[in-house]
Amino acid sequence: MGRKNRNRKVKTENFFDYTLLFVVLFLLLFGLIVLYSVSSYEANIKFGDGAYYLKNQMKATVLGLVVFVIAIFVDYHVWEKLSIIAYVVSLCFVLLILTPLGRTYNGARRWLDFGGISLQPVEIVKVALIMFLAAFIAAIGTKIKDKKAIFWSAAIMGVPAAMIFFITRNASSAIIIAGIATVMFFMADPKYLRYVGLAIAAALFLTVYVFYSIYKAQSAEGTGDFRKNRIVAWLNPDDYASDTSFQTIQGMYAIGSGGVFGKGLGESVQKMKLPEAQNDMVFCIICEELGVFGGLCVMALFLLLIYRCMVIASNAPDTYGALLVSGVMGHFALQVLMNIAVVTNSMPNTGVTLPFISYGGTSVLFLLAEVGIVLNVSKNIKTKEVVVYEGRRA
Amino acid sequence: MSQKKIRRAQPAQTTEQRRRKLHRERRELFRSLQGKLLSFFVIVVIAFVCLAARIVFISKEKGDAYTKQVLAQQRYDSRTLPYKRGEILDCNGMQLAYSEKVYNLVIDSNEITESRKEDALTATMSALQRCFGVDTAELTQYIQNNPQNQYHVIQKRIPYEVVEPFLKEKEENSSICGVWFEEEYKRRYPYKTLASSVIGFAGTDNNGNCGLELFYDDTLNGSNGREYGYLSEESTLERTTIAAKDGNVLVTSLDVNLQAIVEKYMEEFALAHRGEYREGEDGVKNMGVIMMNPKTGEILAMADYPNFDLNDPENPAPFMNAAEIEGMEQKERYKYLNGLWRNFCISDTYEPGSVAKSMTVAAGLDSGKLQGNESYFCGGKMTVSGHTIKCHNHAGHGMVNLSQSLEQSCNCALMQIGEQQGKENLMKYLYSFNIGLKTNIDLSGEARTNTLVYNVDNMVASDLAISTFGQGYNVTMIQMVSAFSSIINGGKYYQPHLVTEIRDSLGTTIKKIEPRVLKQTISATTSDTMREYLTNVCLKGTGKTAVPAGYVIGGKTGTAEKQPRGHGNYVMSFMGFAPVDDPQVVVYCVIDEPNVADQPHSTFAQEVVKNILTEALPYLHIYRTEELTEEQIKELEEKNLLAASQNEAGQVEETDTLETTETEGEQETQEEDAESRFTIDANTGYAVDPDTGELLHPDTYTPVDPTSSDLDGLVGIENDPEQAVDQSDLPVDYSPQEKTHSGFGSDGAGVGAGAAIGGSGINITYDNAGASSSGTTGQTSTANNTNTDFGAGADF
Repeated sequence: MGRKNRNRKVKTENFFDYTLLFVVLFLLLFGLIVLYSVSSYEANIKFGDGAYYLKNQMKATVLGLVVFVIAIFVDYHVWEKLSIIAYVVSLCFVLLILTPLGRTYNGARRWLDFGGISLQPVEIVKVALIMFLAAFIAAIGTKIKDKKAIFWSAAIMGVPAAMIFFITRNASSAIIIAGIATVMFFMADPKYLRYVGLAIAAALFLTVYVFYSIYKAQSAEGTGDFRKNRIVAWLNPDDYASDTSFQTIQGMYAIGSGGVFGKGLGESVQKMKLPEAQNDMVFCIICEELGVFGGLCVMALFLLLIYRCMVIASNAPDTYGALLVSGVMGHFALQVLMNIAVVTNSMPNTGVTLPFISYGGTSVLFLLAEVGIVLNVSKNIKTKEVVVYEGRRA
Repeated sequence: MSQKKIRRAQPAQTTEQRRRKLHRERRELFRSLQGKLLSFFVIVVIAFVCLAARIVFISKEKGDAYTKQVLAQQRYDSRTLPYKRGEILDCNGMQLAYSEKVYNLVIDSNEITESRKEDALTATMSALQRCFGVDTAELTQYIQNNPQNQYHVIQKRIPYEVVEPFLKEKEENSSICGVWFEEEYKRRYPYKTLASSVIGFAGTDNNGNCGLELFYDDTLNGSNGREYGYLSEESTLERTTIAAKDGNVLVTSLDVNLQAIVEKYMEEFALAHRGEYREGEDGVKNMGVIMMNPKTGEILAMADYPNFDLNDPENPAPFMNAAEIEGMEQKERYKYLNGLWRNFCISDTYEPGSVAKSMTVAAGLDSGKLQGNESYFCGGKMTVSGHTIKCHNHAGHGMVNLSQSLEQSCNCALMQIGEQQGKENLMKYLYSFNIGLKTNIDLSGEARTNTLVYNVDNMVASDLAISTFGQGYNVTMIQMVSAFSSIINGGKYYQPHLVTEIRDSLGTTIKKIEPRVLKQTISATTSDTMREYLTNVCLKGTGKTAVPAGYVIGGKTGTAEKQPRGHGNYVMSFMGFAPVDDPQVVVYCVIDEPNVADQPHSTFAQEVVKNILTEALPYLHIYRTEELTEEQIKELEEKNLLAASQNEAGQVEETDTLETTETEGEQETQEEDAESRFTIDANTGYAVDPDTGELLHPDTYTPVDPTSSDLDGLVGIENDPEQAVDQSDLPVDYSPQEKTHSGFGSDGAGVGAGAAIGGSGINITYDNAGASSSGTTGQTSTANNTNTDFGAGADF
């Protein structure tokens, strides 16, 4: 092929990550099927309609697909300008929870209700934070090492995290927000050592916290508080099988009883035992119905999604695009890892949903928006400069 | 902000330079970002691999345990439907044992807490309190503490009458929820103590203990059903049921009325002698009565004393006071209870005594060694190989013919009969009467006696002598009653049995158990002769006491001296049958050590049999044939038994009077004989033996001293009293190898190993005897077949 031809082609050829598109669409469809299988039993009992949860989720998915298509076609640099507004607006949504618009469900006040359409502001915060942080870091560039920059970064990350933690009492979402931000800082900062130090500090803190919890639990033995200690329940799940660890243990039973290829789609019995299995514990039911094999396949799909994000970020036309994609990548990675870690009792129980599969309209809508943005970034990659990870192609 | 600073600090830089620097910085940032992306991805991959490993680990290491756990949790959705254990009926269809459906009250906290009705908890609690008297405060606390629990049993085995009003209330009030009932069956015995050790008992676990409940455990038990919950295509929980298969029903030959009659008179006897001689002990050490149809081998009644309440078998309270029970160790208590539960009639062995004389005489007659015209002289004692063995009448009976040897139960005559026919002949017949073998009656716990009888090779003269009158070897009651039945019914040995029919739960007959003739023990002619002799026993001989007013019965008395000899302990027995020409019922009563000062009088057993027959014979449609004396009428009126069949009386008047006169004449001659030889002690009024100076009763010439022994220390096969306990501890059977045998008593022949060989020797001889006595191989094979048929259940 002649040099001339190829140069001409570079100008006309647009890259588009079809792999990522298909992974996302597959996960979306798979998520709906699993959701129906998992939730129909409970939906039937509670609402007399087995497809209740499925219908709600489908509405959000359809809306999400519209947003998804828009995000694919709107140039992502638009978000760079709008990000500060998005960030502020998202925080306002969180504050709205305190107004009568806030809605309580299952004892937690985390939702907003706009005349029948309910929203979970924390999902908006995640997207807005990714946009704003990417814009901020891209703007300050190499100054990220400065003390002032660190202060501002901490503020941008800390405010929403604290708001989520204190207003909605949702520790896991706060952790994810802080996590996404940390991942983005890590990406932007050429230094490694401080993050290693941060990781060691976090590990130390967690260890101390675990021992402190055990100590507190022992001294409070006999009182009601004792039972509510999540850390102790995490370490001895069998002792708390009837209360604190009930969900965890029942989830583990589901994973363990599925075998290699599972009981078959829709054949789970644990979904009758697990309350709201369609939320955080959906992965257990996947393992029960489709076996360890099915569970690992789902994990592989998420890993592929994260891998595609990484490839796109590496080849992004500019820093902002790269950071945007890294943020989304961090979001997916953290949420999938934490969800599976919780259901396998590898970490204490926190309510983290599994992207695209767990029930939750706001989550699906905004996750689709995030992937849409990533795909738009991929669209802006010039084919000539595409870097395939094994090595660069000149 | 930062760009302004840069501009101010380096004003000399051109736009081009600034642009390039910025570009360089951005590239630098970008390059580091690529490295960071890779390292972040590597971390994520490692984390994914760890979690994947964790999932594989859970599935591989805990998969089985968790799968079981998941299945165990399905109790609510998939539950067992219990089967109903079969009933046990008597011959008239009366329920001896049945299973009643009861309910366990189960609370489902989850359903109550999840209910959308706000008053669910209060409504449920108040209904529970009203219907079941539940402590609601405690239960509410439980539900609050365990909101997820779905299975909490708060009351067990509630009858349906209590459950019913609650179910009605639940139907009317939809707020009541989270309560369900688990079905179970409870075994009930409506007659409580009646035939307790024959029926046996079963708990809620449907495991039979002793008696019919154990022997027919598999027949009575069915198989559990199951109710499965599964998800339909619409994902609603559907249920499908596999019904339980109920157990089979046993119809037995027992008759509740006859059983009640038997037990009434047994208890009367035992209570009458309670604490009479031995302080604080019951009226008897052991006592058993078997009533059997000699023409079929069916058991009409079988009882031992004391009974226990089958509904509460572990409570020995009726027989012991509270302090005694408290003081008992667990092991001791169960040892006592095992003794209570064991069936004396089949599990205990004893020396049969004079009842066995009927077998000795029958053996002699049937083999042709006796012609029936023999007569023997009884001088009150005989010396056999150095042992002086006495007749119970120390004065001697004088000359007795064959019939009189039984009438007077003369030991000396019997010893001569034994000598005449030889040990081989006697033993051959004893084996053919199934002595030493199991009868294989359909009850668990039948004693094995093969090591407790003589082995023909090792028998010496003195063994033969005492065995002719039923000492020195051991039998069970069921062996004796079966053997005796064959003597009087024409020589057919029927397998004794209780169950006559097995029905399925719907009432369809599955199996009918017909009377089974195992062998011909003696010829019909011999049997006729024996019936005549045995009738004479009750007409003119020792068995007169047993005759119920208005009847002619046949029978044989027995008084066996227990081991150790010379302690004054005896087993009294009486075997009676009626009517004499066509026996329809045999009653055998055995009393082990009555609580009296002077034991050796078979009249104890005779009186019990007389009482039983007086009431049982009219019930069995066997009517009075003799005229009643005024005394007898008075006695019957007192017992309110006269009404039955009095019109039948007086038909055979003539013969009766004749025979009575005969008997009286006989006795007079005897007394004359005695008076001529013995002097009467003036001080005590007793007769004195001129040779030994021993005091004797002037009427019967039996010794006054209850510890005096007629057997001169001859022991025969020792029957260790401890062995009785061994057998009850092992309901199946005890192993004969474990028992060390004390051999053949004072003669010292064949000790230890001899006894063991003896066991197998019996079996061989039995086969020969069966073939030769029946004369047809057909019947022998019948016997073998029977053994195989019952082999699975009964031949341990």
